[in-house]
Amino acid sequence: MQVSNMKTISQTSPVAHAQLKSNAKWALVNGINTAVEFAGAAVEQARKKILGVTDVSCLSRYGVKGAQAAKWLADRQVTTPGNPNSWSVSDQNTLVMRLGGSEFLLEDQFAGSTCARLASDTNRVPNVYKVPRADAAFILSGSEVLNMLSELCSLDLREKSLGAEEVIMTQIAGISATVLRQDLNGEQVYRVWCDGTYGPYMWDVMLEIAVELGGGAVGLACYQS
Amino acid sequence: MTLRTSKQVGEWVNRNKKIGFTFEGEVFTAFEGDTISSALWAADQKVLGRSFKYHRPRGVLSLANHDVNVLVTDGADTNIRADVVEVKEGMVLTAVNTTGGVKKDKSSYIDSISPLLPVGFYYKAFHTPRRLFPFWEKVIRNAAGLGVVNFNYPRILKRKQHSHCDVLIIGAGPTGLAAAYEAAQAGLEVTIVDENRQGGGSLTYDRGGDSTATKQLGDLLIKVSNQANIRMLTGTYAAGYYPDHLIPVVSESGINKVRAKTVIVASGAFEQPPVFRYNDLPGVMLGSAAQRLIYRYGVKPFNNGIVVTANDYGYRVALDLLEAGTKVVAVVDLRKGTNTSAAAITLAKRGIKIFAGYCVYEALASSDKSSVRGAVLCEYDNVANVALTKNKMTLECDGIAMSAGWAPAAALLYQAGTGMQFDNSVQQFVPSRLPDGMFAAGKVNGIFDFEQRLKDGKRAANEALRYLGLEAPQITVERHVGQSSDLSCPSHPYPMVPHEKGKNFVDFDEDIQIKDFVNAAKEGFDNIELMKRFTTVGMGPSQGKHSNMNAIRILARIRNMPVEKIGTTTSRPFFHPTPIGHLGGRGFHAHRLTSLHDWHQANGAVFTDIGAWKRAAYYPAAGQTKEQAIQTEAMAVRTAAGIIDGSSFGKIEIHGPDAAEFLERFFTGSYKTQKVGRCRYVMLLDDSGVIADDGIASRLADDLFYLSIGTSNAAAVYREMQRSQQMWQLNIGLVNVTGAFGAINIAGPSARAILSALTDLDLSYEAFPISSVRESHVAGVEARLIRVAFVSDVGYEMHIPMAQVPHVWNALLEAGKQHGLRPFGSDTQRLLRLEMGHPMPGVDTDGLTNPFEIGADWAIEMDKAYFIGQRSLQILAKRPLRKQLVPFVLAENFNGEMPMDCNLVVDGRAILGRVTSISYSKFINRCIGFAYVSPAKTAVGSTFEIRTDSGTLVKATVAAAPFIQNQKGA
Repeated sequence: MQVSNMKTISQTSPVAHAQLKSNAKWALVNGINTAVEFAGAAVEQARKKILGVTDVSCLSRYGVKGAQAAKWLADRQVTTPGNPNSWSVSDQNTLVMRLGGSEFLLEDQFAGSTCARLASDTNRVPNVYKVPRADAAFILSGSEVLNMLSELCSLDLREKSLGAEEVIMTQIAGISATVLRQDLNGEQVYRVWCDGTYGPYMWDVMLEIAVELGGGAVGLACYQS
Repeated sequence: MTLRTSKQVGEWVNRNKKIGFTFEGEVFTAFEGDTISSALWAADQKVLGRSFKYHRPRGVLSLANHDVNVLVTDGADTNIRADVVEVKEGMVLTAVNTTGGVKKDKSSYIDSISPLLPVGFYYKAFHTPRRLFPFWEKVIRNAAGLGVVNFNYPRILKRKQHSHCDVLIIGAGPTGLAAAYEAAQAGLEVTIVDENRQGGGSLTYDRGGDSTATKQLGDLLIKVSNQANIRMLTGTYAAGYYPDHLIPVVSESGINKVRAKTVIVASGAFEQPPVFRYNDLPGVMLGSAAQRLIYRYGVKPFNNGIVVTANDYGYRVALDLLEAGTKVVAVVDLRKGTNTSAAAITLAKRGIKIFAGYCVYEALASSDKSSVRGAVLCEYDNVANVALTKNKMTLECDGIAMSAGWAPAAALLYQAGTGMQFDNSVQQFVPSRLPDGMFAAGKVNGIFDFEQRLKDGKRAANEALRYLGLEAPQITVERHVGQSSDLSCPSHPYPMVPHEKGKNFVDFDEDIQIKDFVNAAKEGFDNIELMKRFTTVGMGPSQGKHSNMNAIRILARIRNMPVEKIGTTTSRPFFHPTPIGHLGGRGFHAHRLTSLHDWHQANGAVFTDIGAWKRAAYYPAAGQTKEQAIQTEAMAVRTAAGIIDGSSFGKIEIHGPDAAEFLERFFTGSYKTQKVGRCRYVMLLDDSGVIADDGIASRLADDLFYLSIGTSNAAAVYREMQRSQQMWQLNIGLVNVTGAFGAINIAGPSARAILSALTDLDLSYEAFPISSVRESHVAGVEARLIRVAFVSDVGYEMHIPMAQVPHVWNALLEAGKQHGLRPFGSDTQRLLRLEMGHPMPGVDTDGLTNPFEIGADWAIEMDKAYFIGQRSLQILAKRPLRKQLVPFVLAENFNGEMPMDCNLVVDGRAILGRVTSISYSKFINRCIGFAYVSPAKTAVGSTFEIRTDSGTLVKATVAAAPFIQNQKGA
């Protein structure tokens, strides 16, 4: 039998198919081949201010659901949001989203290890069900972001309606997605997660609108520093 | 000659900028801000269009998009509404629906034979003789439609966006503006939309000869523009009402779907034409159209005009005509009695002759029928509503302005489910019961007095505030009181003037006259909905804006019933015809790609859409046809091995102690007795016992099942599972892992040998028999392996994390090189499963097929306490089968016309069933398939006939499935 070293198995961002036609610079981030730069830094910074779309699918994620999921996370020193459909930040800046009442989606920052730690616990516990994640994930930034989202989503995502700690599950461009608003390095951005198999479609749709509105693709490097 | 007036206060044209364009080959000059119609009318062009049916010359009627007298083509774009579309530099315009030009339309002869073309004639005229129908069909199709569709029209993106507000106000007339200001003052976020280019509604044109309205408008607009929380969208119409106050508003740039917490409809009213002979001549127009020409565009409607009226509004129109420099020959009022309104007194002082109790019996056309040369006046019997023709008189004039009353612009109110009742005091339908959060104000609410309209706007705003839980004072509005016979009533109850020669038009879109309604009623179409369809009144592009109310009044008269008993027709979105490009928007076509998509693409796959997925259908080599590629791939699976990307399969985990119980209820089979490590077939029915989907349930633990189901229905099945769980409340957890896990199926006699190189799992038949599941590693990747026999009796389905599928795929291809392994696509899969004798839901079943009809009785555990569809199956089981799916073969070496999927199985003229799948199999060297036949024809060896597309009958023989032999030790 051939045995592969799991660390050598190359993986690619689920969005990559849509980015191949661009002249992007690629790099392995968290073991996932990711577009880190699409244009020069100045161009990307300018795009970012108007409407930047960044693929952050490579960030580590962990999903769990079930009646005892909150307790299970608490037992593992993960602080969870108290209210359904809200999010908070746990240790190591891990984003913890409570989707509905009893499902959780966690996302580490670049150097975070919480998700890996939780994934290593393979014991099955009653009423705690692991939810394998293969999301396409995006950061949307800039002054025109609401203009774009108004074409993609029927919900009111303005600050006055989408609370700072709220996370919503809705439809973006006709597919199920999770959305929240976040301050990132002093900048207000929107975060979007969807099933990874829709990733290329989502990228194409968002980028088309972003370019029309004066923005464009922004590489992951913009957020790594 | 020009009809341009001196500069008007508040006019919409910029006289400092001239615009050049052509119409029907002639060069014209306009001012910036002119509409196409206003520019042409200013240049004394009277014939601007031709009517749809009789090709009668037409000019301005409403100048407000309430009629389609003037539709023009500009290069690629057609059916441009010239009354409201601004003229642009360089436009090259022609009128639609003409033969040889608008002035000398060769099709105008149809007008002279109109008695031969009564309403509804084409419903009855062309059925016999049948052989002539194709001829007539061609003639009618050529005559139908207005502009010519340009199939090369460029795709111009029109965005479809969403927005939100506290209150959406429809109509920026004085009522709407007053409501907006009131709501904004209370802090609400207000959006106000108006289809006109500028806000102000009737204040922009209804002045009654003085400047008060101009000041009132200015004051209102300043107040509104100073409110930062008011967003005013002009050139934008509210196109329809959808539940929960979702209202698409349409502008040139696209559609904005506004979700409002409350809605105030202040949409006003459409002016309605009185009906008399030749009321459609160019130069005969609504009073409000004349006012719009004057004050918005600085254009005189005509030089010597008559005003025919049935309300006081006509007197205001007469004053405005005088302001524009038109000589008002007379005011002809259908109502008897002395009019004491201020406007009437002013007119009398200015020496204008008023004929009270008179009607225009007919307008007189110029010799070329292109304009008005006079009008015949008669006394009018206001009770019998007929002209008293004994003492006719003729007045010379070159134009007639008409004012007879109003119809509420209530389309959105109707669509929202508003109860409307007929208010006799204003002769109008008004809201009687409004849906929650909807409010109506102004003319649409039956309020016509200016001050009361402002008050009504405030009242509606305050009601909206209270609806939102805020405090606001009650405001009482004075409604019009009195009888329809009162001179102050804004609308006349029956402004019709019968004429023995007809041509008194009710619906200008469709050339419908009074006699057409009479004839329709005689034919039995005397219900408003039936009459609408028989006469086509209100079915033209204007959607009844200028005609429905008169039609209702006529029908009420025919049936001798009050108007409120006749009711109204159904109002449906959209309010105005909306371009398809707007409706299409950006066009989101969501699709899913597996992690192997790039590999498929690089290796020449032809893709097919299955559900939301792009799947590799087959991989043609250079020069290979689709059929050759499929046969090559299928032969590889039969003789060596093949792999297919099955990542699109639906994959769902059912966790928890009640997982088996859940499956027992959800599917037809039995799962409580299923052992860990074993797989069972699952079949999902709907409540009526129809097959919805099927798949495999693999038991990974006592409290964990892994379900793999078809590609197309996965999302629907998961939704149905969630819905069922909501009802059943079992102790389970559902996890949809369709996108998280990919799948690869390796199949064929060499599959075991290839796979064994990549896993330490014992793949022998004894250790890993068909219908079992194992958790192991393949090429170092954690995998769930399922022994399936869908396309081959030696097959392994590997379910692995989606991102790691390419690694395993490449490892398999590498390991399989020496065995002749090759990929195959979903089209090949369909042939392979056919050879295996497996019917597929959605292919070999349809929306009516039950399990008994495909011979799936074995998959049903009827003795269970409950499963979805069980009760229906119990009923169906007692009934004789009407059709049954059978495998069949065509004759050996068949080389005739190949039957296709869905070709009928026939017995003489009787239809027994249809072919659901058919294909040539190179491996078997035979044409094989599935078909529905009558139950009497299901025995192996029975024959039946298939009728091909060309009508050829092909003999088929019922066979035994599978079509291929099982392999030893599979």
